[in-house]
Amino acid sequence: MDANIIIKLKNVNFYYGENRALTDITMNYQKNKVTALIGPSGCGKSTLLRLLNRMNDLIDGTRVEGEILYEDKNIYSPDLDPVEVRRKIGMVFQKPNPFPKTIYNNIAYGPKLNKVSSANLDELVEQSLKQAVLWDEVKDILNQSAMNLSGGQQQRLCIARALAMKPDILLMDEPTSALDPISTAKIEELVEELKKVYTIIIVTHNMQQAARISDETAFFYLGNLIEYNKTDKIFTKPDVKQTEDYITGRFG
Amino acid sequence: MNRKTKEIFIKYIFFVFALVAIIVLAMIVFSLFREGLPIFRQVSVKDFLFGMEWYPTYDPPDFGIFPLIIGSFIVTIMATLIAVPLGVLAAIYISEIAPRSIKEVLKSVIELLAGLPSVVLGFFGMVVIAPILQNVFDLPTGLNIVNASMILALMAIPTISSISEDALYAVPQEFKEASYALGATKFETIAKVILPAALSGVTTAVMLGMARAIGETMVVLMVAGGAAAIPESIFDSVRPMPASIAAEMGETPYRSLHYHALFATGMVLFFLTLTFNLIADYVSNKFKQTGSATL
Repeated sequence: MDANIIIKLKNVNFYYGENRALTDITMNYQKNKVTALIGPSGCGKSTLLRLLNRMNDLIDGTRVEGEILYEDKNIYSPDLDPVEVRRKIGMVFQKPNPFPKTIYNNIAYGPKLNKVSSANLDELVEQSLKQAVLWDEVKDILNQSAMNLSGGQQQRLCIARALAMKPDILLMDEPTSALDPISTAKIEELVEELKKVYTIIIVTHNMQQAARISDETAFFYLGNLIEYNKTDKIFTKPDVKQTEDYITGRFG
Repeated sequence: MNRKTKEIFIKYIFFVFALVAIIVLAMIVFSLFREGLPIFRQVSVKDFLFGMEWYPTYDPPDFGIFPLIIGSFIVTIMATLIAVPLGVLAAIYISEIAPRSIKEVLKSVIELLAGLPSVVLGFFGMVVIAPILQNVFDLPTGLNIVNASMILALMAIPTISSISEDALYAVPQEFKEASYALGATKFETIAKVILPAALSGVTTAVMLGMARAIGETMVVLMVAGGAAAIPESIFDSVRPMPASIAAEMGETPYRSLHYHALFATGMVLFFLTLTFNLIADYVSNKFKQTGSATL
């Protein structure tokens, strides 16, 4: 059982200045599963996600207490470089954010930082775009600007870009909230495929989406982890009344 | 007066005020051409622009401004070479690296530099820089290309740094986050994402800084040395166009050939600064960042 756990949070508190955004979170994430983080706005789900690859470091005046263990090492220990953490734990953002570069160079950006030789680079770009099911649409326009792609294509490009780093974990922060239903469906299919290889943790506002694509679901409210269980269980007979109220749309 | 006529009335008042600037500019350009063009009845455009001799008070006079053009270009180019790295690096430091307190101090200091009267900077070049250059390099005079370039660079740095900083600041946060999330360090992010995304703005800043330097008069009048000859080394004196106009205009009889020649030099200067401004405008429009990921 323990071998299947990839990230462990132990009593994690998180502060923006004086404001506590997360309170005493203890939870484990399963390897090769899709875990959905749900809850109303301001519940701390995105904050939690950004803790896992130390993206919150970029915001001034934030503070973390507790331990986040990845491969049994605390990613917040002073001798661990956040850059190394982010190379193993990739991220896809709410709004598609390709660089204003060519499609090829968007994918090659991360690997180039890792000094991947250019011979392997072509192969890696192709492989990453295929994994993100974008290759057929862009294989002839790799040298065009990524800014010319549609929103849905841009988001798949961002997924491909993250995959090119060959991460263990893919964090997705409401990746479909800015997309149309058809693009959303494509991303959801993609997540199903990707979980065979990667561990996926996804924040979503959309409860149907959580129910469709996740194996595990965690419900947050006001910075607290209210309930965390198998998705089927959460969406059919949750243990906590608040979870039920949120899922049935009574608040949030 | 009812409300509607009042609105129309106010609209026209503003229109007239906006028009004043355009009319004044048109009049200035008109008089520049009216006073400058007559020289070309005596001297061909080619002889004027590419003539090597500038002896306006000799008999017969020579009106070749090529040494003045070269003088202007060389101090502008050297000033740019000094000011671009300093201005752009300062902008990067202010916008991406400096903690908030240092950022505020630096910004104010650079604005203060922009506010210094050019005659004060020229004075600094004359009494501080010139003797140092003269002693260190054992020169006949410290009033030369190097001195003028250094002072002009000081004047161009605030322009370059503040416009570059705006351009860097305008790079969407999403690009930076994307870069960090891929395991880039701060410096990799600056060099490979932020700077390329801000490149058109930085180029505009450089062009405007150059326009500032080439048109600057007081500094080159005071510290460039004033020799109307093609320089052979960067420690030679030169006589850039604005310096020549400012120094000689008071001495020349109204509507003499020399007078017209100085106005024609002003026309050349006008076309040069116009070109720099047009390039700056073109670059900033052509390569305008089309926003972050648009849907």
